[in-house]
Amino acid sequence: MTADGSPAAAPALDGLGSPRWGGFDPARTRGRGWTDLRRSFAVAVRLGWQMEANWTDPFLFFIYSVAKPLASALILVVMLDVISGGAKPEYRAFVVVGSALWAFVLSGVSGLAWMILDDRERYRMLKYVYVSPSEFLVVMLGRGVARIGVGAMGAAITLAIGVVVLGVPFAPGRIDLPLLVVVMVLGVAAILSIGLLLAAICMQTRQESWSYPEAAAGALFLISGVVFPLTVLPGPIQAIGLATPLTWWVEGVRRSLFPDGVSSIGGPASLFTQVTAVAAPTPAQIMVALLVTGAVATLAAAAVFRASDRRAKDRGLFDQTTGS
Amino acid sequence: MTTVRTKPLPGRNAFVYRPTASPQAAAQWTPRQVAMTNLRTVIGRAYPRVTGMFREKSWVFFEILLPFLATSAFVFVYRALQAPPQYVGFVVLGGAMTAFWLNVIWMMAQQLWWEKSQGNLELYFAAPMNIMAVLFGMAFGGFVMSTTRAAAVLIISSTLYGVSFSIDQWALLIGVFFLTLAALYGLGMMLASLFLMWGREAWHLTQLLVEPVYFVSGLNFPIARLGVLGSVAISILPLAVGLDAMRQLAFAGAAYPIGTPPPAIEAAILVGMVVVFLVLSRWCLAVLERRARREGALSVRWQ
Repeated sequence: MTADGSPAAAPALDGLGSPRWGGFDPARTRGRGWTDLRRSFAVAVRLGWQMEANWTDPFLFFIYSVAKPLASALILVVMLDVISGGAKPEYRAFVVVGSALWAFVLSGVSGLAWMILDDRERYRMLKYVYVSPSEFLVVMLGRGVARIGVGAMGAAITLAIGVVVLGVPFAPGRIDLPLLVVVMVLGVAAILSIGLLLAAICMQTRQESWSYPEAAAGALFLISGVVFPLTVLPGPIQAIGLATPLTWWVEGVRRSLFPDGVSSIGGPASLFTQVTAVAAPTPAQIMVALLVTGAVATLAAAAVFRASDRRAKDRGLFDQTTGS
Repeated sequence: MTTVRTKPLPGRNAFVYRPTASPQAAAQWTPRQVAMTNLRTVIGRAYPRVTGMFREKSWVFFEILLPFLATSAFVFVYRALQAPPQYVGFVVLGGAMTAFWLNVIWMMAQQLWWEKSQGNLELYFAAPMNIMAVLFGMAFGGFVMSTTRAAAVLIISSTLYGVSFSIDQWALLIGVFFLTLAALYGLGMMLASLFLMWGREAWHLTQLLVEPVYFVSGLNFPIARLGVLGSVAISILPLAVGLDAMRQLAFAGAAYPIGTPPPAIEAAILVGMVVVFLVLSRWCLAVLERRARREGALSVRWQ
């Protein structure tokens, strides 16, 4: 009430005050469903991108983002040239595409896990992020997507340099666009699932978990046919490799960009050829295999994340800084 | 009023009680006291690294596993290309040396910045010791730690992938190995001061110094293949010149691309690098200390 007894004017109400009509808006406690999720995701992506990129000027950031995947590709190209003397251009495409895609995987796999570790150990904000009204999983995915964006930039530049400078034989007219779109969508989902799985593990672990994503990525690098065909590995290891979605994703992207290129899965002595009697998987087989292995990885990641989330809440792990 | 003089504790005579005329006189240490304090600093800073090897078991696992996985991947690349067997040996030797490089950039170059972020750095500067002794302690502890990792990677990979070494000049090989490490850790000591000045960029710079340095150092292939770039790397990067010399010595008689200096010359280059990096690290540290005192920024975290 004001001094003359008239009712006070309603505050301006688009912030935290009551609604203009004076009642209680139940949506504020229930949340606004997709609108809130979309907002949380967008803010998390923006925050993640700024955390990744605002430490320096854009030019330096660009160099830093590209140097790592490009150097990895160059190491393999020189190794190839040392042995073959440039006589195997199809292998050059194989290693350049593989190492470019791996930059993408590394950033995706480590992005979610490092979000947990960064916020818990370095910035000590994880508990506040967790209790905020935003959906925690959505915030995590948003931060992970920002890191994937950095990886994607490195991968794209590496591919471009591979084609323009390193002489990778590339015909844009021969790109299998439907296959590329499908495997990229499924592949990114699979990469995020693996990242989520590692984030769930890092929620439980104490100090020095920073190496876990890199160790997991290193192991996957070895069995996914990224820079060498699976056929050089022992049979049981090839079988494990065929069970991971990344193997099919890398093969799918390679096949869509270089339809006549070397297959990382098939080959005369490969397990795939022995079992299926087919020289190399067809695009349809690649899509189905990626869908199945990706679905298994996603379900496993979701289950492990839920269990880890419950346990972390129960034991106060979000509030715990281990000093690493 | 009587003064009660307590009996000095055994083994601590130099520091416990020393009657002096003034605080200024008390601050005048004898050369023995200075030397002993710095020696204790070296041991004290090396201690957590050496002891930590056994206390944090996950470190042992990951620091052996990661270089081993990377080494294995490159071994399989050469196998897929049906390369001569000595190339597998080159990769294994390079993989073992990554343990030292990773230690130098993560636990030497980045260390002072990390200490600043944790709030310890101001204590280092306030303590009555030479910061060079802290860096030497870090280097010594890191050397012991990394040697175990490198030896594990070398033994496991050599056994698993059937690498056979052919060594004629053992003394020179051992000499080159230790010179390489001395130059590497000298470089790490220098980078520690620089990274501290670069602040938040340090972490990203550390990331940048992995794969690109592996490439220009010829970690998985003979560096002679890189031509001029390889020559430049040999003249500034201890990893490049040391690895090339060790490969020539450990695989004597193997077909090897010519174009790099013989091992004895490369050993001389390493000696020069050791001297230059140690002098530069001392100079960088002095500049840093002066700047830190002037700007008072030692206790400002996360910048």
